[in-house]
Parts: sequence; structure tokens; C-alpha cells
Amino acid sequence: MLNFLDNTVETIQFDNVLPQVFAQRDDLESQIWKQDAVFKKGHLYLVEADSGKGKSTFCSYVVGYRHDYTGHVYFDGRDTATFKVADWVEARQRHVSHLFQELRLFPELTAMENIQIKNKLTGFKSEKQIKEWFDMLGIGDKLDAKIGRMSFGQQQRVAMIRALVQPFDFILADEPISHLDDNNSRIMGEIMMTEAKAQGAGVIVTSIGKHIDLNYEKTYWL
Amino acid sequence: MNLVWKLLRQHISIPQFIGFFFANLFGMLIVLLGYQFYRDVAPVFTSEDSFMKADYIIVSKKIGTANTISGRDNSFEASEIDDLEDQKFTTKVGKFTSTEYKVDAHMGVNGTNVLNSELFFESVPDEFVDVPLSQWKYTPGSHEVPIILPRTYITMYNFGFAQSHSLPKISDGLVGMINFDIFIQGNGHKAGFKGKVIGFSSRLNTILVPQAFMDWSNNFFAPNDHSDPTRLIMEVGNPADENVTKYFDKKGYEVEDDKLDAEKTTYFLRMMVTMVMTVGLVISILSFYILMLSIYLLVQKNSSKLENLLLIGYSPRDVAKPYQLLTVGLNLGVLIIAWFILYFVRMYYMDIVETLFPDLDDGSMLPALIMGVALFLLVSICNIIAVRRKIDRIWQRKE
Repeated sequence: MLNFLDNTVETIQFDNVLPQVFAQRDDLESQIWKQDAVFKKGHLYLVEADSGKGKSTFCSYVVGYRHDYTGHVYFDGRDTATFKVADWVEARQRHVSHLFQELRLFPELTAMENIQIKNKLTGFKSEKQIKEWFDMLGIGDKLDAKIGRMSFGQQQRVAMIRALVQPFDFILADEPISHLDDNNSRIMGEIMMTEAKAQGAGVIVTSIGKHIDLNYEKTYWL
Repeated sequence: MNLVWKLLRQHISIPQFIGFFFANLFGMLIVLLGYQFYRDVAPVFTSEDSFMKADYIIVSKKIGTANTISGRDNSFEASEIDDLEDQKFTTKVGKFTSTEYKVDAHMGVNGTNVLNSELFFESVPDEFVDVPLSQWKYTPGSHEVPIILPRTYITMYNFGFAQSHSLPKISDGLVGMINFDIFIQGNGHKAGFKGKVIGFSSRLNTILVPQAFMDWSNNFFAPNDHSDPTRLIMEVGNPADENVTKYFDKKGYEVEDDKLDAEKTTYFLRMMVTMVMTVGLVISILSFYILMLSIYLLVQKNSSKLENLLLIGYSPRDVAKPYQLLTVGLNLGVLIIAWFILYFVRMYYMDIVETLFPDLDDGSMLPALIMGVALFLLVSICNIIAVRRKIDRIWQRKE
């Protein structure tokens, strides 16, 4: 089995990674693609890009649901290309949390059920904590509302809470505030950073311009 | 698991599963019934006669119109027996001895008189009768005589008589219920004996008594009469030896053999059961396809949900489990209902079979239980693997 399973993932390294769709392009000016980019646990990163530069692609390589690239992605020096299914399951459950740009919530379930379906897997947060987050994000009255009936902005907040009900070494937030007002963006940023600090985790936020106002330690241009 | 199930049961088509359920039920039932029936009934044809080894053959002379008119009798002369004994294929030869006197017998069951008749006994040398010597013996002067009855008697009794007179049916275990009273007179003597029925034979169409009784009684009641045997019993090294048939044909002898018939019947029985079971299997396989199609359809319709579950950290095993449990549960339900129905169907036909062949073992549903479990495991394992492969393809983002 994996040797990092019991430990934490300290670094995620992109070594000369290039999505196959960009293989033909020679005008690529990126700080991640075809470069050596390292993300460290406990630090805060912003990955900024225009649309179509591969932000979601970048995320999908980190959590391992796409592998259409050349180069290597390393977790603590271990090439993720060698990961087995069980390794990725473990990585997704315990090491890398991902807030999907397309959210990937379940419209048939209520907001609370959407959180619990993940929390039951990890058993990480109390129902009280979850409700607290709902209240802080101004959707405390939506606990039992079906996701399908909620606005995209509200869904984004639910998706953020779901991303937090698991242990992680890195949290990957793919355009987390695209449909939020400034106030809610700020609250969401606070909640995420508080949780990340508590876990000592690294934070990677992607954005196409509008991003959560945080003290980013390093900004990568895709 | 509850929430996952709540999510994944979306798009389950009840009519499809009902269709599968009944198709599989019929298939399973036909297969199990065919197999169970075969196992229940086959012993009727394959069981060996417990009183006579299977490789003994009974030889008689052919009775044709010619002998009847010419008055030549069909008994074996001593020279003919010697000749038979001298043949290479012969291991041993025994004569059937008949009673030379008159016998009146009354047969009753449980005190009710069933049969009164004048009849005769036969005997063969004890070495040809496969019964412990302690049961098959007669001491001259004793009033108890062991008897082996032809099985046809008991079939006749069970079917024709017992039913209409509300008498118990007789099976091998209940021979003690038969009273067999024998009255013999001859040579100025009269005597009554008690027949002790120790069993039934399907290979001998005669009432058999121990040789010792025969010798003593013939001597006592008819000392002056003697007739040649009309039937011989013999053991051959290899019953399939063609020299045996050739010799018998040349001499005009006939072999009493019900064994061949039984083999034919068993063969046809097996063929029919195989055909029925094949139909059942085909239905089962088709129903398996229905199930697989509906599961595939279900997985397809829910593929985005399945993918999302995988992406938030569920393992393919977790995600496959609800569908695997669903299929296994359906299969299990089918199996249990099939067993249940089979139980009643079997009760019904065993009633008839046991009336026909009372000595038949009750048997058990074990063959159907084992076959059912085997089928269930086979189908379930195929289902489990198929569902898992489907989920794995979603993991690999190929669907």
C-alpha cells in the first residue's frame, strides 16, 4: 500500500506537466505547464488564468480523475501515475479536498444530505459544526431544501461546506466565489482559511480574475 | 449507506425488475424441479434388487406354439444343466425348485384379509439369495417360513386394494404388517405354517421360500413326485459376453431381464429431464440478461451521480455495493420462492410416486437445495463482477 496513507502529503509537485491538448501549442507562457511548480502544505496559493487555460484541468490532475498529460505529478516525491484506485480513494478522502467548479452536488438530495453523504464517509465534522457553517454563510434556512431548487450561489456555499467535512493536507478551490457577493466571499474565505489553518493544510485557489481576498503567498499564472 | 442508496435507487425501473424476477423464478424453478424430480424418481429404475445380485440371470426355455402342441415341456433336463455348467462363461448355476403339492395361502394386512388363493412356491439355492442367513433359514418342523414376495404383488395391493379399503400402504419397512398363512396338504398330511415376509423382489416373479423348507416339504408332502426345473438361475463372469447370447440363442433359451427395460427408461427419463432443465437454464440465462440490461441501464442513467460519488472520495467498491446487494437480494428472493414452490410441487408428486413405489426412499430436497445454492452463487458472482466492472469503467471515465 501507499506509504503516505498514514502520514500527510507535504508537497504536491508539477514536474514538466503539459496537458495533451496543449501539446501542439508553442506560444505557451505558463508558470505551471512545462514548469516545475511546487505546492507546500500550510501555504496559500492562487492559480490565476483566463478561461480555457486549463484551471479545471489542473485540478483534475491533482485529484487524479484525468491523466491526459505528459510530465509528472508528485505527491511527496511519489509519482501519482503509479497510484492504484485505492490510493486515489485514500487521497480524496484524507489528503486532498476539492471544491469543484461545477460543484458536483446531488440535486435529488437536500443541502444537508449533500454534506452528510460525504461526512458519513469521513465522520469528520459534527452536525452542529455543519449547521454553524450554514448559518454563517446565510443559508441556515436551506438545510432541508433540495439542491435542485437552490441558486448557483447558494449551491456554491453548500459545495464549500462539503469540501470542508474531511481531513485534508491540501484544499483545492476551483473558482469558489464566481457567483457570490463580496460579503459572502469574505465569509467563505474566512471559513476556509480557519479550517485550513486548523488542519495545517495548504490552500490552492483558482480564479479567472475575481478571487477571494486573501493573503496569497504565491500566485501562479497558468 | 442510506444516503448513497437514496441517491442510487433513482431510475430503478420496478417493471423491469418484476420482469426479471418472474423470468428468473420460472427458469430457476424449472431447473430445480427437473433436477429434483430426476433425483427422486431415478432410484426407482436404478435401484438394485436387494435380494438378488444384479449380475444373476434367470434362464428359461422359450415357450412357442410348437412346444404347446407337441406337448414337449419346457423343463431343463439334467444333461442340459450339465452342459450349461460346462460353459466357460458360467460361474455357477442353480435350479428353481417348485412345490409338488398344493398350497393354500391367505394374505392379510393388519388383520384384513386381502388374498386367498391356491398357489405354489419356488426356491433357489441359498447362495443365490442375498439375505443374511439368520433370516433366510428353515428348520424342518418349524411353523415359521421366511418368504420373499414379488414386488408386483405389493404394487397391486397398494394401488388397487389399500386405497379402496383405507388400509395402510406397505413399504419395505412395514413388511411386518403382512400376515401370510399357509396351508399345505399332501401325502396324507395337513399342516399350517406362518409365512414371514422378509421383503420384496422385483427380479423374481415368484414366491420364494428357503431351499431347506422346499426340500423338507416336498419330501414330506409329496415324496413320490418329482419334476424337472423350468427355470435356472446362473451367475456369469461377464453378462455382456456375446458367447452367452450366442449359446442361449442356439439352445432356444430365454433370459428374464427387466434390467434392460429399466436402463432404457432411465435413459429416456434422463433425456427428458435434461431437455426440461435446458429450457429452464435458457430461461434463467435470458432472465440474467434482463437483469444485467436493467442494471446497466440504471448505472448509465445514474452515471453522473456515480462519478460524483467517486470524486468526493467513495471507492468503487462502496459505490458498486448497493447495486450488487440489489441483484444478490433479488436472486436470493427468487431462490427462496423457488424452493418454497418446489417444496409443495414435490409433496404433490412424491405422493403419487410413493404410492407407485412404496419402498422408495423418501429422499430429501437436498439435490434442489444444493443445485439452487450453486445456481444462486454462479449468477450472483456474475452479477457482482459485472456491476463492479461497470463502476470501474466509470472510474476510468470511459462511460
